Amino acid sequence: MHRVEHVMGMPIVVAVRDGDVPDAVFDWFRHVDATFSTFKEESEISRLRRGELARADASDEVQQVLARCDELREETSGFFDIDAVDGDPSGFVKGWAVDEAAAILDRAGMTEYGVNAGGDIRTRGHWTIGIQHPLEPQSIAKVVEGDDLAVATSGAYERGDHVRDPHTDEAPSGILSVTITGPDLGTVDAYATAAFAMGARRAPGWTARLRGYEAMTILSDGRVLSTPNFPSA
Amino acid sequence: MRKRLIGALAGLVALVLPTVNAAAATAKTIVTTKRVTGPQAVADRWGYVEVILVVKKTTRIVGTHKKVTRKITNVLVPIYPNHTDRSVFINQQAVPLLTNEVLTMTQFNPNIEFVGGATATSGAFAQSLQAAILQAKKI
Repeated sequence: MHRVEHVMGMPIVVAVRDGDVPDAVFDWFRHVDATFSTFKEESEISRLRRGELARADASDEVQQVLARCDELREETSGFFDIDAVDGDPSGFVKGWAVDEAAAILDRAGMTEYGVNAGGDIRTRGHWTIGIQHPLEPQSIAKVVEGDDLAVATSGAYERGDHVRDPHTDEAPSGILSVTITGPDLGTVDAYATAAFAMGARRAPGWTARLRGYEAMTILSDGRVLSTPNFPSA
Repeated sequence: MRKRLIGALAGLVALVLPTVNAAAATAKTIVTTKRVTGPQAVADRWGYVEVILVVKKTTRIVGTHKKVTRKITNVLVPIYPNHTDRSVFINQQAVPLLTNEVLTMTQFNPNIEFVGGATATSGAFAQSLQAAILQAKKI
């Protein structure tokens, strides 16, 4: 069965082949929204950003997320930097929330499920995933197939031109999208955002250096550069 | 001779015992992660290279005994020659080769259950391929 709800400003699809979708999954997403939303004035993140809450006094989960965002800044040479967006960790929170939802489904004994949060996907079991064409939204550019995947895509076509190189504050050039796969969605989502911000010159080389993660970069000139083990069907 | 040895052993036991007792109470492990940034090195005439090692240091303290192990958990290369097209080309060749294809529209595969892509907003979802697939498949 599947359930779709609009939470955290996007549609979240949870599909389970071997059972029902537990209420706890969407309760969790609503909790994440209440804690991390930058649109809710009373969320912990909003209070942190206004300086009303010190980081040391924030809840464990908020501190855990911010600590991981610090690590991701290092891992991406500063291309994933929440300080560049006034401490908004949304770019990591979505994937992290899905990873935690997957843990809830695991604990409920599910072994065949997938979660799609606004186009970023995490699966358990064997699934076939279409990656949207960056220029033709109703078409597929590539089919990804595999077991236990996390797949995230960052591209110019998401919510306008909102990904920028934090070093120059400019929109990246020569690049249409970057898709990253790996074991956890929080990391692959941040890596996809970082690689996209690097632009056509740096992204392919950077993704090729990642260990344990695979990538597909689509350039504006129509070239598709994939790492050797990218899980294409 | 034998007596002296026993005497020495007794002294050793006397010395060791308090330490062992203390050990049971104070055994602890401290894990820290440090980044070690190497100097910016000139790679011949092609530009600069900088390497950062992420080192995980585990300090296990049992009484007065301290054991330190260090493990490199990540190697970052934030600066590498990429200031000319040729540098970028060499750099891209130096890493495991990327497969190079031309962007096409793939035939829709009936096995597809999920559609991934850059963030679909709530407004766009109703018209999306993902919504159509869910309706068609009833998964």
